[in-house]
Amino acid sequence: MPKLKLAIREEKTAYKLLLPAFIILIIVAIYPLGSVFYTSLTDKGFASTKETHFVGFENYKRLLSFTVKELLPKMTWGSLLDEQVVKQEIDLKTGESVHEKSTKILPREPIRYKELVQLSLFGKRYVIGATDPDFVQAIGNTLQFTIISVLFETLLGLGIALVVNSNFKGRGAMRAAMLVPWAVITVVSAQIWHWMLQSSRVGLFNTILAKFGIGGGQIAFLSEEIWQIPSMIMIDVWKTTPYMALLLLAGLQIIPMELYEAAAIDGAGKIKQFINITLPLLKPALAVALIFRTLDALRVFDLFQVILGSREYSMATYNYYQLIGNRAMGYSSAIGVIIFIIIFAFAILYIRVLGGVYSSE
Amino acid sequence: MKIAQKALFCFILAIIIIYLLFPFYWALNSSFKTEAQLQMMPATFIPRDPLSGNISFNLINYKSIVQNQEFLYGLINSSIVAISTTLLALVAGSFAGFAIGKLRFRGKQPSMYIILAMTMFPQITVLTGLFAIINALKLEPRFSMILTYMIFTLPFTTWVLATFFKSLPTSILESSQVDGATFFQTFYRILLPLTAPALVTTGLLAFIASWNEYLFALTFTTINPAARTVPVAIALFTGYIAHQEPFGEIMAAAVVVTVPIVVLVLIFQRRIIRGLTAGSVKG
Repeated sequence: MPKLKLAIREEKTAYKLLLPAFIILIIVAIYPLGSVFYTSLTDKGFASTKETHFVGFENYKRLLSFTVKELLPKMTWGSLLDEQVVKQEIDLKTGESVHEKSTKILPREPIRYKELVQLSLFGKRYVIGATDPDFVQAIGNTLQFTIISVLFETLLGLGIALVVNSNFKGRGAMRAAMLVPWAVITVVSAQIWHWMLQSSRVGLFNTILAKFGIGGGQIAFLSEEIWQIPSMIMIDVWKTTPYMALLLLAGLQIIPMELYEAAAIDGAGKIKQFINITLPLLKPALAVALIFRTLDALRVFDLFQVILGSREYSMATYNYYQLIGNRAMGYSSAIGVIIFIIIFAFAILYIRVLGGVYSSE
Repeated sequence: MKIAQKALFCFILAIIIIYLLFPFYWALNSSFKTEAQLQMMPATFIPRDPLSGNISFNLINYKSIVQNQEFLYGLINSSIVAISTTLLALVAGSFAGFAIGKLRFRGKQPSMYIILAMTMFPQITVLTGLFAIINALKLEPRFSMILTYMIFTLPFTTWVLATFFKSLPTSILESSQVDGATFFQTFYRILLPLTAPALVTTGLLAFIASWNEYLFALTFTTINPAARTVPVAIALFTGYIAHQEPFGEIMAAAVVVTVPIVVLVLIFQRRIIRGLTAGSVKG
């Protein structure tokens, strides 16, 4: 058969094989995704009869506008040797100079800016204002949550996959046990952890820590800000490490045994085998596992919603709050699009760095 | 030296098992406790009588969930939805994965990104759009769930399977072409059996993801409560005392729901083992 004809046949087969996936995609994805993009450019309300207007990029501006302003020191009239002078006001408690309130300096028109954070630089005090500090905070929370939990899940998952991949009695049972955290319904596992993390000795963690004399059984893991995101990370690592482990295990299984045998004959030790054979051959499986794990972590919803509610937002729960709580459908669609863009950026980054199936060769 | 190594291995294994299973053990423990036992301070590792401190298991939570019609229907609905979703995602995903992983064609990269982009929005963002489609097409709730779960299962199965198809040696494809087999024959007679570990793995992960899905299920079954799946049924549990969360019952339900999945994994895990592919792949 001539080469060209074979290539055409191959291409035709490929399109036929892709057809079912694309039919499904057209039914379930085109309209919802397209309408999200369009709605994000309007001021549409959720379940409201109000007229909808096209507002361009107004929602995006309201979500992600920043400004930096210098805060001037606050002056007071004081008296020095019977002379009236203007001097800087000092906080008597901390000994630091007092600055004017950020609300005075941040712009109010056309959109009101709220304080995001204050910082001192070269003896001057600045305030960074954002039009929606809650959303910026949600992005920060989600990125922190994603990067740390995915890192831990990958390392632990790889460790577990390597252990389960080795030959020992009862590894079948171990494989089943390994999947339990992933199998427990999220709504329920969030509640189990909620219970274990109770702020009194009803909860497991406080019971144990109190035994070691830490925290006196009173640590508020879920309401104190410094504990909130670490608690979420701990739960997520527990829950999704199995997912990572199973995907990496499947990747390990596909590496031909012969390679290790040959390496062993050549006198390569276990560590050398791991670095020279396992890691490079595991890269495609690792890339795909990382992509999907990161994608899920960036969209994290159930966990934050069940445990933290509106105390601290992830990007997706903030999206939910804007849609259901504020009934701002246009605004929440814009949040969705921003999440989409962040996720896309991560996906491209992984593909560029790790390559795999998707790299064009 | 050998003994020390073995001891270390067992130690690591033990830590992993405790870490993975402890919260589930805690659910199991709590599921046998009454409300009074749950409120004990400090929390007990085995259900104990609040007054005497003797071990006392209580089946009250299990009794009440077995009598809960909604929960039992939920089990059936969840099975229907999760099994159908998994099969559909595996069939469509392995087709697309094979094309992307092994065949040369124009537009490969765009197709991959388009398929992945399907799953890049948070569920809450696409919910209203999906709801509109379901209403417009007047789809049955269980069928709508199967179809909409494709949003998060299909890109996953496609990408994972593409990776594994790609890792199989191309020589297999070429030699079977020489024998006169079509691409499709090569695919399902030779390549598909070789990727069994990947199929089982992705199948299990997709099954669990759809078994556990909550937000879509809650939304699409509001009009038809008979179609509710387990997560929705559990979330709607109400205790004997109004407005109080029946924690013990929820834990009992969690145990009942998790056990079938563990059994499923025990059945299928043999397939994840190398044995199946050993010998047939010589790259």
